[in-house]
Amino acid sequence: MSAFHGFPDLPPPEEIAFCKIDEVYCCGNANYGNITTFTNTTQKHPVINVTKDIHHHRTTDENLSMYIDVEDNLLKKITSVWYKQGFLEALSVAADPSVNREVPLLAVAASYVLKVANVFTAFRYFLQPHLKDIGPKIVSNYSRIRNWGNVPVKCLSWHPHTTKIAVATADDNVRVYCSEAQFVSTLKCKAQGHVSSLCWRPFSASEIAVGCERGVIVWTVDPNSMFTKPSSSNAVVLNRSGHSPVTDVSWSPNGDLLISCSGADTSMLVWDVAMEVAIPLRRVAGGGIIFARWSLDASKVFAATSSLIFRVWDTTRWTPERWCARGCRVVAACWGPGDLLLFTAKGEPMVYALTNTGLLSGAKTSKAVPVLDVTKVELPSGDTVGGPILDMCWDPTGRYLAILFEESPLIAIFCTTHLMMQLRITPCCFVNGIGNELPSTMAFQQNFPAGACLTVAWSTGRVQHFPIVYNM
Amino acid sequence: MEPKSEIFSQRLIVAVLWNICLQTLLAVVLVLVIQVDLLHPWTWVTSTIQDILGWKMVLNIILLALVSFFQAYVYGNYYMMPLPKYFTRFSMFINMFSVQNIIFSILYALSGYFTMSLYSSLAKSTFNVLKKQCEHYEGQCLVEQSLFLQFGGMWMGLYYFLNVHIFGTAILMFPHIYQDKFQQIKLAISNIFSIGFKSSIAPVLYFSIFYFLWGSKPRNVVSDVYSLYLEDPPLDNLLNLISSGIWIGLWFYTSLFFVSIYTMRTIFNIVLTEPMKFPIESDSSLTLYNALAQRSQFNGYLGAQDLRIMAMTDPLRRQLIFTLSQPGGHPRNWNNLLDNCLSLLKCFIKELDNINGDGKTTENEIKNNILNVTPYVRMYSSNLRNMAQSPELLELKDHNKNKIEDTFTDVAKEEFYVFLNKICQKPGINYFFGELADTRLKYLLMQAQPVMWTCEGLAFIAAASLKEDNYGIVQTDLPIILSTLVNLKQSIDKLTKPGLIHRKHILNDIVAIKIKTALISAVKRSIYKIVITFSKYIHEIPLDTDLQIAIQSFLLCKEA
Repeated sequence: MSAFHGFPDLPPPEEIAFCKIDEVYCCGNANYGNITTFTNTTQKHPVINVTKDIHHHRTTDENLSMYIDVEDNLLKKITSVWYKQGFLEALSVAADPSVNREVPLLAVAASYVLKVANVFTAFRYFLQPHLKDIGPKIVSNYSRIRNWGNVPVKCLSWHPHTTKIAVATADDNVRVYCSEAQFVSTLKCKAQGHVSSLCWRPFSASEIAVGCERGVIVWTVDPNSMFTKPSSSNAVVLNRSGHSPVTDVSWSPNGDLLISCSGADTSMLVWDVAMEVAIPLRRVAGGGIIFARWSLDASKVFAATSSLIFRVWDTTRWTPERWCARGCRVVAACWGPGDLLLFTAKGEPMVYALTNTGLLSGAKTSKAVPVLDVTKVELPSGDTVGGPILDMCWDPTGRYLAILFEESPLIAIFCTTHLMMQLRITPCCFVNGIGNELPSTMAFQQNFPAGACLTVAWSTGRVQHFPIVYNM
Repeated sequence: MEPKSEIFSQRLIVAVLWNICLQTLLAVVLVLVIQVDLLHPWTWVTSTIQDILGWKMVLNIILLALVSFFQAYVYGNYYMMPLPKYFTRFSMFINMFSVQNIIFSILYALSGYFTMSLYSSLAKSTFNVLKKQCEHYEGQCLVEQSLFLQFGGMWMGLYYFLNVHIFGTAILMFPHIYQDKFQQIKLAISNIFSIGFKSSIAPVLYFSIFYFLWGSKPRNVVSDVYSLYLEDPPLDNLLNLISSGIWIGLWFYTSLFFVSIYTMRTIFNIVLTEPMKFPIESDSSLTLYNALAQRSQFNGYLGAQDLRIMAMTDPLRRQLIFTLSQPGGHPRNWNNLLDNCLSLLKCFIKELDNINGDGKTTENEIKNNILNVTPYVRMYSSNLRNMAQSPELLELKDHNKNKIEDTFTDVAKEEFYVFLNKICQKPGINYFFGELADTRLKYLLMQAQPVMWTCEGLAFIAAASLKEDNYGIVQTDLPIILSTLVNLKQSIDKLTKPGLIHRKHILNDIVAIKIKTALISAVKRSIYKIVITFSKYIHEIPLDTDLQIAIQSFLLCKEA
């Protein structure tokens, strides 16, 4: 039987799902409907709509065509390319006969040097194949965000203790929306490009870590300050050679350590942010570390690599337990209460659970068991749901699991109950978008007193709060 | 010197043993690499083994062991003593020439000399001996290259000593996560090599310049003493020096010396900073609260670190804290622990307040003045005659309270201090004898690491008590923990109040600035931890109104 058997029917085409209150699935018209007719729990939540016109300009490949080409002299051209893109790019400019028409001797010399350099880079890539992709390519390859390079909302993160959400937009600014304040703080500095991940520091009201191409930027945003654009003096840039681009940042639940991962670096860095010191954690085999997840009590860290291998680190002695996925690399993972870990592999419609099976007998043997099969099915309404999983979120109480699929416009939410060492997963509801909207990323609010609140960023830039209320 | 702690000495010995192993390994690798002979692998291996088992190697190991024992002694001296308090340029300058430093510098020079000559002998270099048979004359000639190398060795020893112990701050930095020793060494080793080879360039350059300027003097002395002739072109000529190629040798051996000495330092750091598990209650061994009580010493550091680790990750030992003693039913473990933690924090707050108040107890004086003034005002504003509040009486009371002894010696002393202070403020003298702007604060911050750990430890124990403490032992003390933490936070805040930054609070030292940030962050996180954990019950905890106001911003998550 399909896992989607037993889900409530999808709302009709003109309607979207707003919330679920005490087992009642509430839908309404997409244009005229309002969530406040159903529940007041998200009344004070910030309204976020990231449209194209609030973006700042950025010189990307698309809008580069807007600028008129200026004919510089050759030396200037080469030096500017050298300054911006590095020595090898400068060489290739010098070697390019269509650019370098004036000094053919230089072109020939440069092309020979380039050939020698290419031999070296080829050898290097032979040794370290994971470095082949550079910069943003690595991030978009391993990102859990649908179409990361081209969506209005790149990632979002809820504050663990208050109703405050940070949203990274396509122009690489981080906007902080707050329930009380009407204004939006925009965090922006020169080093902040290709933002891949955000994480608020627990037990702090102001600090947020932003993972981007250059490294990790830790912002301190004073919640009492009225500045909408804090200066970059409030930011600390943490970087280390070879550790770029950063694909994931995560704070320990105790708020003392920050782990940053880079798809191009085989070690993950554990930062003491105040002292700006990092300790690398590295073991043989596995390629670049894509992301890390702390368990809720900070006793373990899950680290996924770009290969089949993933590790579960014990944080008291910092020793890893090595695992090997069967088909493909791990694409998403989340911890729940009681050190239960759910993970999925790329391109596979299956959720696995990693549990300590030998806890009762005292032995520490764990095994991975498949707990949910979400093979693609067609719903009666004609929509398809299921298939390979893109991202997965578990609400902090461990009651609801939201799954984002690679090939489906729907988000499926499942109820999870953990009783007597057994995980039971039952259907809850779907969340759909307006028209052809696709969900790009999602996150559960960390402190929603009335139940669970899933925040979804859609491909149009609309950000929806979907509360599941059961505590009223 | 104060009595060394047992733990510290044990760790030093472990470190020395580790060190000897690694140094031997380094020497073996050196021999192996130097004799590389890919065409004749068999002779390569056999000659290497012969060399490794030879007397030179044994001598080398013995000498390296001696050097590492000496290093252990130096570390013991620097880390066991609380940091010296030198607040003026003059006292710092005088301190540089203390007997200890002079002895150490000589020892370092010797160890540099020995290490260098050992490595060069292992590498089978021809520049091991000072004398050789002259080619053109009868008699013996000086091999200036070996003189150059030997002097270079001493120079490097001195250079390292100056760099690390005199101009650097020798404080033990505890890593924020602790991996296995082996893993840490593995991670450090490639780094040590690259840094060793890089950082040896500068001293080699300095030494070449030094030799260029002064090299003729030691050469003359040596050739006079041994009555040697000088045959080769002198090395204090720049061209000769470069063409002789000895600088490459010097750079190579210096790099090896640095690699070996950095390895030693890394090993000492790794072994000394290993977290230690103290028992909560024990009759024989050192308990956690006793370790905490030895504040500025090494045990105090380990104790505070263990407190934090225990509070975060060790439910079994936490359970011991939440139990009552049998018989009696007193929370003895917790009370002992809390007393020690609080006294540590209070001490730190007091020191901070001293700095805030410019080292005088001005605040109390101001308070007294205000207290004294207010009654007068009230006196004259009221129409009633009130003998009990007459100004004379107040004066009398005041006189009784703060007896001022007007003896001649006191007055003279006071005058003398005033005079000294005045002199100290004269421009030239102030430069040497005036107190340096930020040293006091820096000195205090350098010792702040146990304070951070204690704050976090207390906060995590308090937070864990919500679920684990069946008798409510910790919860009765919540107000005092909170008030101490808030006090500490306010004292630190005073250092950075915008617009009011005193010249003494502007830090120039990057490490000190970072420690200050870390301290503020740790204290705030601790308060947040307690407040957020108990947020539902915060009104049931009996807190002062001031404290309630102070934690309000934490409750609302508005404290930056």
